[in-house]
Amino acid sequence: MSRRPTSRREFLVGTTAALISGRMARAQRPPLTAQQVADRIRSSVGVPWRPQSLDGFKVGDPSTPVTGIATTVMVDINTLKRAVADRQNFIVTQEPIFYSNNDDPGNRAKDAVYLAKKAVIDEHRLVVWRFAEHWNARQPNEAAKALAASLKWTGAEAPDAPQLYRVPETTLAGLVGQVRSRLPLRGGLRMVGQPGMRVRSVYLSPGTTSLANAVGSLQKADVILAGEPREWEAIPYALDTWSAERGKGLIAIGRVVSEGPSVHACATWIRSILPDVRVESIPTTDPYWSVNV
Amino acid sequence: MTAQQVVERIQQKLQELKINWRAQTVDTFKAGSPQTEVRAIATTGMATFDVLHRAAAAGRNFVITHEPTFYNHMDQTADLEADPIYQAKQRFIKDHNLVIFRFHDHAHALQPDPLVAGSARMLGWTQYASPNEPRIYVLPTTTLRALAVDVAAKLKGRAIRVAGDPDMKVTRVALGPGYGVPALTTSIDVAVGGETAESGGNAEYILDAAADGQKKGMILLGHMMSEDWGMREVAEWLGPLVPEVTVEWIPAGEPFTMAT
Repeated sequence: MSRRPTSRREFLVGTTAALISGRMARAQRPPLTAQQVADRIRSSVGVPWRPQSLDGFKVGDPSTPVTGIATTVMVDINTLKRAVADRQNFIVTQEPIFYSNNDDPGNRAKDAVYLAKKAVIDEHRLVVWRFAEHWNARQPNEAAKALAASLKWTGAEAPDAPQLYRVPETTLAGLVGQVRSRLPLRGGLRMVGQPGMRVRSVYLSPGTTSLANAVGSLQKADVILAGEPREWEAIPYALDTWSAERGKGLIAIGRVVSEGPSVHACATWIRSILPDVRVESIPTTDPYWSVNV
Repeated sequence: MTAQQVVERIQQKLQELKINWRAQTVDTFKAGSPQTEVRAIATTGMATFDVLHRAAAAGRNFVITHEPTFYNHMDQTADLEADPIYQAKQRFIKDHNLVIFRFHDHAHALQPDPLVAGSARMLGWTQYASPNEPRIYVLPTTTLRALAVDVAAKLKGRAIRVAGDPDMKVTRVALGPGYGVPALTTSIDVAVGGETAESGGNAEYILDAAADGQKKGMILLGHMMSEDWGMREVAEWLGPLVPEVTVEWIPAGEPFTMAT
């Protein structure tokens, strides 16, 4: 249902054709273009738009009328096809679409897989817009808040330490069990630390984890729950805490799974600023499996 | 001989191999005095605190590491000065008169790259190296699942991750070192390496290729399960250059605990 005040035109449409549903009436207004949707998001995000940013249009014509919006962690061909089936032609993604951070196909410009993906985009006139840096710059951190909600920890955040959660006392292995049962993980979970260590506080660090973040948070928390920590930064730091007899834990759930709750929250937020547009998130699947579990 | 003299032997050998020492490089002393008399040398994938304990216990006071000592590529320590873990590690280095040197950029410049050759040797793939394509191994046909099980068994890795259809047929494998997981193309079945951006690259390529009717896969070993072995190759290469002292590989090992 539309939450926007009824316009005169909608009123006329509604009175002359009482059987037309609210949704159809909405469809008869000229839809917003992709550019207008992007502008609305940019002006509402509450974070100054950075002059140098990987966020923005990646492929497609910004003047395309938007039929619906899909938010997603990653844009593979099946995500595109699913969006097409749901008449969502504006795709908001956390991650690049063309296999590199700047989305330059480079050596793959003549690659059959790249061309197949480009063909799906062209055929269905899709528009892909990246929205990661600015979404993740919002405070409090949206991705951590959404991940906490998925872990059923809402309300357990420490008042004086953002992204730090006080959890009922458990062990590192017990925490791994909780995480496995509450997130759509396949093989992507790894951990550093002794399984029996006592855990009472967890710092949530979805996405990537800088060294400064790892060092700062482990002075307060027993464990970092990370997405994709670098293995020459946060991982050896967590490992070294054990040699220094101040053992801390680290659980890495993978970047894709760690960002899943965030893109769901992003869809909810976009809906709040664009109530007349259909916005859905596309669920995330862990792309990784393991031979160790 | 001093640690500095050991490094000079390395530089001399590289010069003979026509590999110029780079002006900009992370291959520098990270801790301790270069003038320290070397009792014995340990090479390792990463100078973790645990490796330093083992090196000191074995009387190996010169540690040559492939990856950083202080948790960042440039080994910058300004932001770590107040950190108790960093302080404890520095204190241990000082108390045991250790010297740490990084051998990264120039190790990768050797032909073949010992960091790749070391993994290939552990995996039993050396005989399958493609004669004219670096880093490509043409294996007897297997499946992605069987390959991943074999890799995990050979490396004793505890946190190996795989993307792609487990039943896909595999023959052409591209093996990269550490963070250098090869980018998949239509001419490679499976890319193998340490760690990589987990999305925005091969992960999407594998899904897109499957949607286009092609099977592709990736095996992520973890950074140490990829590069630790190569520092054993470096120990064997370095030994004859410094006959005055012994050189031994001390594995950094798998940092990940089995998640139960």
